[in-house]
Amino acid sequence: MSGVRETLAVCRYEFRMQIRKRSLWITIALLAGSLAAGRFGMGPRYAPASPGAPAREVMTRWAFLFSVILPIAFGMALADRLLRDRRLRTAELLASMPPGSGGRLTGTFLGSVTATGAPALAAMLVAAGYETVRRGDPMMIPWGLAAFAAVLAPALVFVAGYALVCPLVLTAPLFRVLFVGYWFWGNLLLPATLPTPTGSLLTPIGSYAASWLLGTPVLHAGIPGPLSFLRPEPTGSAAAGSIALLVVAGLIPLLAAGLLRGRWRTA
Amino acid sequence: MDIAITGLRRSFGRVTALRGVDLTVRGGMYGLLGGNGAGKTTLMRIMAGVIAPGAGQVRIGGYDLTTRSGRRQVQRRLGYVPQDLGLYPDLSPREFLDYVALLKGLDDSAARRRQVEELLDVVGLTGVAGRRMKGFSGGQRRRVGIAQALLGDPALLIVDEPTAGLDPEERIRFRTLLAGLAGQRTVLLSTHIVEDVAQTCHETAVLAAGQVIYSGSVADLTRAAEGTTWQMSSAGAPPIEGVVVSAVARETGTQFRVISPARPSPDATSVAPTLEDGYLALMQRHSSTAVG
Ligand SMILES: Nc1ncnc2c1ncn2[C@@H]1O[C@H](COP(=O)(O)OP(=O)(O)OP(=O)(O)O)[C@@H](O)[C@H]1O
Ligand SMILES: [Mg+2]
Repeated sequence: MSGVRETLAVCRYEFRMQIRKRSLWITIALLAGSLAAGRFGMGPRYAPASPGAPAREVMTRWAFLFSVILPIAFGMALADRLLRDRRLRTAELLASMPPGSGGRLTGTFLGSVTATGAPALAAMLVAAGYETVRRGDPMMIPWGLAAFAAVLAPALVFVAGYALVCPLVLTAPLFRVLFVGYWFWGNLLLPATLPTPTGSLLTPIGSYAASWLLGTPVLHAGIPGPLSFLRPEPTGSAAAGSIALLVVAGLIPLLAAGLLRGRWRTA
Repeated sequence: MDIAITGLRRSFGRVTALRGVDLTVRGGMYGLLGGNGAGKTTLMRIMAGVIAPGAGQVRIGGYDLTTRSGRRQVQRRLGYVPQDLGLYPDLSPREFLDYVALLKGLDDSAARRRQVEELLDVVGLTGVAGRRMKGFSGGQRRRVGIAQALLGDPALLIVDEPTAGLDPEERIRFRTLLAGLAGQRTVLLSTHIVEDVAQTCHETAVLAAGQVIYSGSVADLTRAAEGTTWQMSSAGAPPIEGVVVSAVARETGTQFRVISPARPSPDATSVAPTLEDGYLALMQRHSSTAVG
């Protein structure tokens, strides 16, 4: 298929442009740094200090510590990506090229999402490197990567779908405000206070994946609340289901945007 | 690539931009003239496959632009410089050209790199090829615009006001470059600068209010003002009749160049028209028939 190469070209350059965003690197560095320095009742400081603490537990604690706040930065950094071609007036030229809007959308998604995840991955690797030295356990880096893939990456995909598409309708500033509000309400607020999806399979903070990796419920996974069918026991299969649900839910807005854009062109 | 357009209409909400355009272009450099809002950009965007035609027939090189597959076929052979071209500020011209080349399907990386370097040289951007485009001057942006359009050696070039805002030397360099490219290609050039068309095109069309009011040779358009172009001197007041093309103050009074069907004053002398005179005579005739 000729469309694949063109999609990869979009992906390559959208990646390049996003990864050059200095504000993204600075924000992630500051947030990750302050999370690492702070005590939030769940961070790596709560992992057993003994040298024999399992790498799986140590690195999962790092991953879910980061996943509490870093996805907010993902949303902020991605909110302008699809709007940008309109603002920079590059949309006209792109529309005169053979790749269709579907290929451009897919390429933009893949490129900007991987670039947005890069600083967070770097933060995990720094943490893993630190733990390797501190605890002398060579398994820290592999488990750091696994925890990133299970906890942070699904959050990134979920957030990206909405952060790319919603600003087309809402404008980027309004989306950013609403998104921060959503993050605290939908991930951290307890259902006892207000009806919220906190602790369900559809919680991008990664409650289920982190609970499964740790072997003990964390981040309110499975806490009673509305939509009780989305709140099973935090087992391995529930964690896998949560990851799949988050990824699919993140792709829905992209599919919708793809269909609508295709129709606008001929309107 | 031959262009054949019949009965093309396109509106945006309540604004009708094109109201029944008929146009035939057969290769070479072709000028598209017309006032602000005449519909030039809309026509070019349709030909570039950026927007769909409303009604009517648009065929380019035999491909039907009203179908998606026809649009794709034309876009594979197209170089387009939009009137309002945006660039990515974070990329360098070299990277931007590489990106456009990839989008146009130039997959062989060695050939792609060679072509990018060649075009950077053609438009004189080699010196800044690695610099980010943020802060580029108007002329530098235009050069990037032309270079990207030439990638992939397109059979059809559509350039929408490429010389707007350029200094005279740069403008002449650009139009000469475009004319040189028109050898084996179709180059469609829209502009407000009649002189650019006079210097580079054999054929031209004039759009007014969404319709083609003239299409044919540049020489014939110039002849439209034959016998109606006058030169005269007057102590101060401009002539009442006709359209004043130019007014030059002299010690003896002001010298006017006037387009008018009748001799505007007894001392006026008939002079040979230029393309600009022909264009103005056509517009004048069109507006008087449109009103009357
Ligand atoms: N996207 C759009 N939405 C609404 N109206 C539009 C749009 N594009 C063009 N128009 C209208 O269509 C008409 C033709 O515009 P167009 O840009 O094609 O003219 P033009 O000949 O290129 O003018 P100029 O010489 O100023 O560039 C104008 O009345 C313009 O306002
Ligand atoms: Mg225009």
